[in-house]
Amino acid sequence: MKQKWYLTITVVFLLMGILLSLQFRAQESFASGLTMQRTENLIAMVRDLSNKRQKLSFEILDLTERLTAQKQAERDDKQLVSNIANEMDKLNIITGATELIGPGLTITIDRYMPILYIDIINIVNELWAAGAEAISINDQRITANSAIFYAENSNNVFLTVNNHKIEYPVVIMAIGDAANLEKGLTIPGGIMDNLALFGAYPVLEKKDEITVVARNDTPHFYFLKEYKPEEKSSSENKPAANNQILKD
Amino acid sequence: MSRKWLLPITIMCFIAGFFLTFQLKVMADISTVNPISERNTNLITIINDLEEEIKKQEELIGETRDNLDKIQEEQIKGRLQELQDSLKTAKILAGLTPVAGKGIVITVDDNTEGLKANPNDDPNKYIIHYSQLLNIVSELKVGGAEAISINGQRLITTSEIRCVGNLILINTTRIAPPFEISAIGSPRLLTEIVTASELAIMKLSNYPVDLKEAEELIIPAYKGDLQFKYAQTKGEN
Repeated sequence: MKQKWYLTITVVFLLMGILLSLQFRAQESFASGLTMQRTENLIAMVRDLSNKRQKLSFEILDLTERLTAQKQAERDDKQLVSNIANEMDKLNIITGATELIGPGLTITIDRYMPILYIDIINIVNELWAAGAEAISINDQRITANSAIFYAENSNNVFLTVNNHKIEYPVVIMAIGDAANLEKGLTIPGGIMDNLALFGAYPVLEKKDEITVVARNDTPHFYFLKEYKPEEKSSSENKPAANNQILKD
Repeated sequence: MSRKWLLPITIMCFIAGFFLTFQLKVMADISTVNPISERNTNLITIINDLEEEIKKQEELIGETRDNLDKIQEEQIKGRLQELQDSLKTAKILAGLTPVAGKGIVITVDDNTEGLKANPNDDPNKYIIHYSQLLNIVSELKVGGAEAISINGQRLITTSEIRCVGNLILINTTRIAPPFEISAIGSPRLLTEIVTASELAIMKLSNYPVDLKEAEELIIPAYKGDLQFKYAQTKGEN
């Protein structure tokens, strides 16, 4: 009799133990959650998110104003055209359709620095993270579709951007808050420290005015089309494939 | 006879001991990471609030952009067609419209099995780092990807992939594993280039990696801001 009692308790405790340890395991594996972050990282998150919130509220303000302007324009062609032109100006910054000027940072890399295409990708990514608004590398504008890669011939490996050969010196131009952009690259343990380990010291220069070139040509999309959620699915039978391939 | 109850007691103590060490270990971990955990709790509350608000803002932005598009289309119908077309093209290029097409979907995840098997090893060897995602994305662009998203975040020109601590951020939005990278483009070309390098390395390190070709992928629109303070079109001003 007595033994059976102990046995039951043992089994119950055993189950509890397994359950609890499983729970702790689960918590441990969720290391990417906020609770496992250092205070300074959480502070950085709050700062970044606050900045983003502010930018988003400006965007909402902009959009609301445009909505009002658009409604007022009604059938006034002049107004319509000017509304669209304003919108295009903004879009062109993102799509790289126009040449831009502004303050920013230049990064110069010469032939003798041990720098690979992957380092260039990292520098460009770091510049976007630091708030760059537009970036070019020599005569090539960086857009959403830009490929940064390498090519080689019989005796040389060289950097390519948008499938164009990039000659030395490689000059990366980034428009934005020059001090912030520089900070983004030079923070301790950041990309400049990393490159220094390999004996590469790109030259950073803050400038009051730099020019970022326009993209060379409009990307042609062969696979992508605009997605229209349901709505018209009854009138048009399914995706109107390929008739929206982008042309300029 | 009387010794028989010793066994269950031993087992119970054994289990209780395990349980306690587990708990202590977890507590020790947390206290080394979060020295001022009350302050951290406050920060986490702020972060969660901000993220919630940002989500609402982005929804509003998405809706307003849709509205604007509709009104514009309505007003312009049959006139100014050229202007309308170039605006539409620009929006697609900028990433402001959802797009669909053929492509591939890559899913990568933390190597939790590996970490479980080697609990005393450096966990950084088993979690996905932003640099791995950046490499995959860069390769997809070389392969001619026409549109890319990671966990629903559309990558536009200015999108960054970075980390704060071991949180991965895209467009300043936190994304968590597993990471699903969708890319519209030639499935064959995209597969060829990604399987040749970063994914191959990740596979060797036993990260769970999956790649699927898709006939019709949908990649969402960018819902963030387009606020520019420094860049000006040359010639104006």
